[in-house]
Amino acid sequence: MTIYCIQMGMLLELSYCTEVNAGLPCRNIIGCWKGRIDILSFLQERFSPDQLKQIFGGLPKSRIDRIIEGIQN
Amino acid sequence: MNRKIDLNEKDIPKQWYNIQADLPHPLPPPLNPGTGEPITPDMLAPVFPMNLIEQEVSTERWIDIPDQVLEKYLIWRPTPLYRARLLENFLKTPARIYFKNEGVSPPGSHKPNTAIAQAYYNKVFGIKRLATETGAGQWGSALAFACTQFGLELKVYMVRISFNQKPYRRILMETWGAKCVPSPSPDTNAGRKFLEQNPEHPGSLGISISEAIEDAVTTKDSRYSLGSVLNHVLLHQTIIGLEAQKQLASIGEYPDIVIGCAGGGSNFGGLSLPFVRDKVNGKNVRIIACEPTSCPTMTKGPYVYDFGDTAETTPLLAMYSLGHSFIPAPIHAGGLRYHGMAPIVSRILKDGLIEARAYTQLETFSAGISFARTEGFIPAPETNHAIAGVIEEAKKAKEEGKEKVILMNWSGHGIIDLAAYDAYLSGKLEDYMLPDEDIQKLVKDLEKFPKPK
Ligand SMILES: Cc1ncc(COP(=O)(O)O)c(C=O)c1O
Repeated sequence: MTIYCIQMGMLLELSYCTEVNAGLPCRNIIGCWKGRIDILSFLQERFSPDQLKQIFGGLPKSRIDRIIEGIQN
Repeated sequence: MNRKIDLNEKDIPKQWYNIQADLPHPLPPPLNPGTGEPITPDMLAPVFPMNLIEQEVSTERWIDIPDQVLEKYLIWRPTPLYRARLLENFLKTPARIYFKNEGVSPPGSHKPNTAIAQAYYNKVFGIKRLATETGAGQWGSALAFACTQFGLELKVYMVRISFNQKPYRRILMETWGAKCVPSPSPDTNAGRKFLEQNPEHPGSLGISISEAIEDAVTTKDSRYSLGSVLNHVLLHQTIIGLEAQKQLASIGEYPDIVIGCAGGGSNFGGLSLPFVRDKVNGKNVRIIACEPTSCPTMTKGPYVYDFGDTAETTPLLAMYSLGHSFIPAPIHAGGLRYHGMAPIVSRILKDGLIEARAYTQLETFSAGISFARTEGFIPAPETNHAIAGVIEEAKKAKEEGKEKVILMNWSGHGIIDLAAYDAYLSGKLEDYMLPDEDIQKLVKDLEKFPKPK
């Protein structure tokens, strides 16, 4: 089963979306997969609340945040 | 009546327009995520040349386009403005639809408007080499084209899964002399870390960004380049709207509605900001940004998730934040930012100068197919969001019996993205949309939980 990912400009398998973040899901996974599968149940079965919090908790990083982090690393 | 409204080369705009001079509320400085302190220009100096950092923070209304940049722009600019009569006939709309064809550039999109400018400013600052990342490949190929024009070296970190499956963008970059490597690569600490875990790691945009920044910071005479979001990128893109204003004026038209698709906001800003200026000065024009429902940063705010405790029957709650009540205080202090969206676009949305709409993937491809089967040109999948917006407005004009003038940015062609059309035409794409009732219910549920810190 695939979706078209606008960011990558290509069809992607669910397995990519669930593991892309160092083994954890892409932040957009719910928006992209909801409607095709029961993505919420799927995520709860596969990932611990802490892992889910790590991905979805708080706000996503802005581009400037990423750049500053990159400079400081 | 001409189908194409051309602009003479001698009439190409000689200055970019900087909306920062006219914003009703100025952009707050971006904050350092580590310290919460404002980011100073010298903090960005390892990644961008100072002349571009100055543009990033400039509040000068008009910024001269250097002659060397204009000379390169003339390779494909001014771009034609088209009257989409065939689409109008198909829709049986009284609206007059115009589209600015940014697909005529060598890489096929609006991206070289800033790539050329960034390559030039890096060159005159003494930079010899740029590093960047690319996902779908549009930005990497635009920058490759620009770097070859100014004799700069370029290294592109392309997400490996895309590198492997989308060879044509890579071949474009290599044809223009860039070095394109699959990311994670063995060339950076960031890349090696992921390769140690998995030598076949498919990569991600985040990893590619880290690699490109590390490369720029650690390689002599190198800088990083970004193709959207930042203020200077939107500045360079305003050439689109400034040309369109001249072209429309030459036939005595002015738009009632201006429409663009928005990923990071650069092509939308490029077309619309000169019209936002008119609106600030009292013109009656509606300006609409179109985005995907799968990642609705502007129409629904960023996703915010919260997790119930064990007593809750629904341990995972997901929602789109519908108001700003869910945005944590430090973000408020830094000004409103939508995830991935240009701060300028976020600001003018907040100030009510523009509207945002979201379209599902099926709606956008259906719109793109209608466009291709009438006007002929095959749009980039991103561009299809704008076309969906145009079609909605043109149908509304029909219902209202009004002769509206609609102007759209046709940000790029889709000839290298035909696999996406193939997937659509063969029924492999399905619609997805979180229904509003679900959202409302989730919001209610979430109200029981503390707001994210
Ligand atoms: C043709 C085209 N249009 C639109 C976009 C979205 O980017 P932006 O919102 O910065 O214009 C892209 C991004 O790659 C693109 O290639």
